Amino acid sequence: MAVAESVDNFEINDYLRLEMMPHFLCPGCGHGIAMRALLWAVHELGIDKNKLAIVSGIGCSGRMGAYVDANTFHVTHGRPLAFATGLALARPDLEVVVITGDGDALAIGGNHLIHACRRNLRMTCLLLNNEVYGMTGGQVSPTTSENRLTTTTPAGNLEPVFDACKLAEAAGAGLVGREVTLQTPTLKDLIKEGLAYPGFAFIEVISDCTEIFGRKNDLGNSPEMILSQKKSMRPDSYGTVVDEPFRPNSLPTGVLARNDRPEYGETYRNFAKSKQGRAK
Amino acid sequence: MAAKTRKAATKPRSVLIVGVGGQGVIMMSKVLALVCQRQGLQVKQSEVHGMAKRGGGVFSHIRYGETVWSPTIPKGEADVLLAMEWAEGLRWLDFLRRDGGAFIADTKRIVPPFAFRSRKYGSQPIYSPEAPREVMEMVGSGFALDATKIATELGESRAANTVLLGVLSTALEFPVEDWQEVIAQNVPAKALEANKLAFEAGRDWADANRSAPMEERLKDLPGRDDRRAAEIAPKTVQFDITGEWCKGCDICVKMCPERCLRLNDEMIVELSDPEACTGCRICEWLCPDFAIRVRRVPALEPVA
Repeated sequence: MAVAESVDNFEINDYLRLEMMPHFLCPGCGHGIAMRALLWAVHELGIDKNKLAIVSGIGCSGRMGAYVDANTFHVTHGRPLAFATGLALARPDLEVVVITGDGDALAIGGNHLIHACRRNLRMTCLLLNNEVYGMTGGQVSPTTSENRLTTTTPAGNLEPVFDACKLAEAAGAGLVGREVTLQTPTLKDLIKEGLAYPGFAFIEVISDCTEIFGRKNDLGNSPEMILSQKKSMRPDSYGTVVDEPFRPNSLPTGVLARNDRPEYGETYRNFAKSKQGRAK
Repeated sequence: MAAKTRKAATKPRSVLIVGVGGQGVIMMSKVLALVCQRQGLQVKQSEVHGMAKRGGGVFSHIRYGETVWSPTIPKGEADVLLAMEWAEGLRWLDFLRRDGGAFIADTKRIVPPFAFRSRKYGSQPIYSPEAPREVMEMVGSGFALDATKIATELGESRAANTVLLGVLSTALEFPVEDWQEVIAQNVPAKALEANKLAFEAGRDWADANRSAPMEERLKDLPGRDDRRAAEIAPKTVQFDITGEWCKGCDICVKMCPERCLRLNDEMIVELSDPEACTGCRICEWLCPDFAIRVRRVPALEPVA
């Protein structure tokens, strides 16, 4: 019963800055569940807290770093991947995890995302997708579903949705996956796979914004919102079962793509070594 | 007139094959029936397999001889009881002939979900407590073996039924070639090799154990106490709530399958029904504020 034991041993308080708790997230916010899954995965892999570096940008997701008792780095809007690239190149011994949001990574930081995927540098990127800019009052984001109400789309959103996983796959990310916060143990397993992957692992976490987005769109309270995730996910095991009419608008979950390419940090260090003698 | 007395003199032989859905009971009885037909014997077979899809019981009566009238075996008249699953074997034990009927059973236990009457962590299933050693002492003649383990070692756990056919073939008087040919005709082409090996493994096991005295055969079988000790150690649930961190989002209360949580007047979660909590941890996993911690601690007394 290895699983049961790992659950028993995992004390999340060992990984938190207790003086910062309770965290600032709204009641029922899915980001807290995603944070638990990340810390659980770190615990199961036995990663030392001193070797864990968490880089986060701006937004609700960006606050994650403040609560984790590890090396944390809170950077400018949209740039956590750029900072993390420098960090991972300079300190290949660190386990670099980037926590970013839908606005952070897909709107202002869209360029950094595709170039980080292109380089395939060893790090794990968690995109916490809650469909909205929650912290700044609920503006429309690149992943807001069509017809949804936000403060900047009071009559409903007209823009089509960004599929972050397809984007990352096309840009060349080594490992691409998606999971919902409702399935915490499965999400933990996916993050574990990402952390262990020798390359750029991109994981989209479908989260909930209950207070801003849920309230505005009448999606129910926290329990109703988290339960509704079940309808919007389609695990690998469903295979080619048609989405309609059973799971309209459902998104595939699990590991979606694997693109094993040379890891950039390794290539870079070998190149630097080959040039070192000749420079003088 | 002479023929008539001969018919009356030869009583049909009866083999009862039992198991649960998906184990291959019907396939085994088909093989046995075809082998009997090859000897020019009359065969009657009768089965119930309606519950098979739900892992329910499946049984098949096979009667063969010069002339067979009834397709079903009366209680206490089966010459061989072949059980693919341990509890099913015990369920049909009444049908076995008490004077020398052979009991051949796989010791594999398939515990159905509804055997777990209590959802509490560490509680014991309602499953036959009789251990193989006790039953073998009771029936006097037969074999109990871990056919599933033998088949798994051969690389195909689904061939466990063929292992038992191998054991059965040593108890009946039919030529071995007939068995092999009929099995080859009745298994999928890609599993042919595995089934051949499994049949031989079953025969080898029976030959190795036939001459051994009963005490020797019982030596490796688990007794009642061994089995109980191997069960999961009983644990109880320790439920801790960090009230200052709870924001009253209601997720744990609504998602709890036992409905044992509630929000108090200050909208802080509390355990309203500690007896009902099974320690499933759904509340802990889904709490965005890390306010709930569920631990399973060793129980001081057995869980009901």
